[in-house]
Amino acid sequence: MKPRHAAWLGLAAIALLACVPQESQSVPVFARKYGFNCTMCHSDFPRLNDFGQRYRMNGYALPGRENEEKSVLETSAPVALRTSAGYNDERLDTPGGCDNAYAFEINGLDLLSGGLLGRTVGYFMIYVPQIAAARGVAEQEGGLEMASVVFQRLGSSWVNLRVGRFETACVPFSVKRSLSVSPYEIYEAAFPGGVPFSETQSGIEVSGWGKLPLRYAVGLVSGGETNLADDPPADVYARAAYVIGAGEGQTMGQRIGVIGYLGKAPSEADSAGARQTFSRFGAEASLNAFHCNLALQYLFGQDDAELWPGAEENDEVSWSGGFAELSWRPQVGRVVFARYDWVDAPSDFNADVGRATVGARHYFGDNVALHLEYSHRTEKSWWGSALAGGDDTTLSFFTARVDFAL
Amino acid sequence: MRRRLPTACAVIAFLVLLGQPLGQAQGFLGNGLKPAVPVPADNPQTDAKIRLGAQLYFDTRLSADNTISCATCHDPRTGWANPHPTDTGIRGQVGGRNSGSIIDAAYMRFQFWDGREPSLEGQALGPIHNPIEMGETLENVVAKLNAIPGYREQFQDVFGTEANTGGIARAIAAFERTVVSGPSPYDAYLLGDLSAMTPEALRGMRLFNGKGHCTPCHSGPLFSDQGFHNLGVGMDKPKPDLGRYDHTKNPADKGKFKVPTLRNVAETPPYLHDGSAKTLLEVIEVYNRGGVANPWLDPMVLPLDLTAREMGDLVAFLEALTGPVPKVDVPKFAEGPGAPADPKGGLR
Repeated sequence: MKPRHAAWLGLAAIALLACVPQESQSVPVFARKYGFNCTMCHSDFPRLNDFGQRYRMNGYALPGRENEEKSVLETSAPVALRTSAGYNDERLDTPGGCDNAYAFEINGLDLLSGGLLGRTVGYFMIYVPQIAAARGVAEQEGGLEMASVVFQRLGSSWVNLRVGRFETACVPFSVKRSLSVSPYEIYEAAFPGGVPFSETQSGIEVSGWGKLPLRYAVGLVSGGETNLADDPPADVYARAAYVIGAGEGQTMGQRIGVIGYLGKAPSEADSAGARQTFSRFGAEASLNAFHCNLALQYLFGQDDAELWPGAEENDEVSWSGGFAELSWRPQVGRVVFARYDWVDAPSDFNADVGRATVGARHYFGDNVALHLEYSHRTEKSWWGSALAGGDDTTLSFFTARVDFAL
Repeated sequence: MRRRLPTACAVIAFLVLLGQPLGQAQGFLGNGLKPAVPVPADNPQTDAKIRLGAQLYFDTRLSADNTISCATCHDPRTGWANPHPTDTGIRGQVGGRNSGSIIDAAYMRFQFWDGREPSLEGQALGPIHNPIEMGETLENVVAKLNAIPGYREQFQDVFGTEANTGGIARAIAAFERTVVSGPSPYDAYLLGDLSAMTPEALRGMRLFNGKGHCTPCHSGPLFSDQGFHNLGVGMDKPKPDLGRYDHTKNPADKGKFKVPTLRNVAETPPYLHDGSAKTLLEVIEVYNRGGVANPWLDPMVLPLDLTAREMGDLVAFLEALTGPVPKVDVPKFAEGPGAPADPKGGLR
């Protein structure tokens, strides 16, 4: 299928989904510990609503009900599985040629577990099994993606300690719970050889929330896998957010915040050499009105020039980017979304990225969604290559899949 | 093979865990059929005691000016509740809280909105000597009843004593334990009658246990966790009713009120502790806004972002919780030398 045809097909299907009335059903899944339906925490699975966000911030215990919670030793373990299957159509145009791939595929598998290990100790894990590529099966790298323990309310809800491997609080819009399949480009961007900003990290994080409209988190983590075994953890980050109105800014209320990350990593060219510093600063906002959510993220990066081969020496390299995503629930059990991502690469590296994504999800149940998405990505050259000029690289991606969890 | 082993182990472990019985869940589910009415060992149910309790329940002579009975504010014609936002007691005095329904009060661990009484027996006496409600002293009530031969005989038959406060409380409580709701369309649905609830009510049921965030508090067969929570209703007033705090003096209890049962809730407007919501839809709108902001707002009360249709579906579900309630007529009263009983039983 030609990308233009795929785009029109996708847009037509999305428009159709937005118009046709349909009833929604629900089945308890990951919330089987409580007997809740999943919409208790995910109004639009997999995105968390305000209740779910507060549940997560509280270390996987219902706020105000901590003394009545049962641990995993007293209940069946809340283990869940998430996968998706459907049709993918991808066309990559590079200066060297064109590459098409389209197939019906199973798109990975996540095994999740979460709950309480004790009265005030929560945990959350995601295990991703390794899956070899085959016709009809998308390749997946295996590993323990997340495994963290949360010591809740050390004195009050203003002090919660998370230890282990987790999605850091300085990524305000979870990539694991994104509505779209297409990644947030700014969270993927890094200096050559660097790990994506959204990568789960191992370390400790202290966070807090309460009756005041402030939220905070600070963390110390090991950093990306390019660090060596004898490199001590040196990456620190902080996030502060202000919540306006009732809610956590997920589906109700408004949230604005700032983030900062200071890290160290070796350059790709000298992986055993001294570590260089890099930093990220940004602002985020999640605004809600009339069943719409506008998510805004801006991130500014400033890296030691040695992390960017080819950059002028003794210089710091700056770059920036972000995204604006609008999601709207026109009807019960249906959400449509549109997002624009951009990355302004360092001026020495003609690798700016622009990406436009539109999609829709129609929920047959709380935990089963038909997902349609079209995304068009343009990049001036490959990340890390010092090639300037030349033709753009474009990627057109369409998917129609069923996303489900149980 | 080496690569596949971890995947196979993980999938097997997942399936084993998934296969565990859901009965071990936290307990928020299971809004199913009600158990038998709990009866305290020191106050067993007898027909004679229930008949005596019914007379006392409707007898206006338990009030200071012989105008108010229990039934005045807990009217069987209006879901055994008060159709007005707050009570109006003797001499036209107006109280500050809505008279909750006594339907299924027998199951509740706490009585009154602030839970100050743990038993029906304790609750039964409260309004009699409340100066705003019935405004009578317990001593006077006992004296009035003992002056009426018919009552004196009944108390002798039931308790083997003259009328006293303990007997009055136990008799009224025994009668109230008969005011329980029967099977609702929701119960019929749970028993397998898939046509018992409308499509709207079925959608509402799913919302109730999901996006509506109702179940964390309105759980169990009675749809109440029998706890106390702060929704913020009335907390924006200059002198708010602090609810549970007035009884416990625990600052954490400020603005908390008892979670009422939702059984037969459709029959008992108005709603909330101050009767400020005229309809179930208005109650849901309060929740949809995330309650009313105040320093003690329950952290689980968050805006819901419900659509108009979803709110309507929730109302439909709440209406499906309505079951039959025993029909009780105003009994014949024993008469004595004092003022006669109101033949209408205090019903207005």
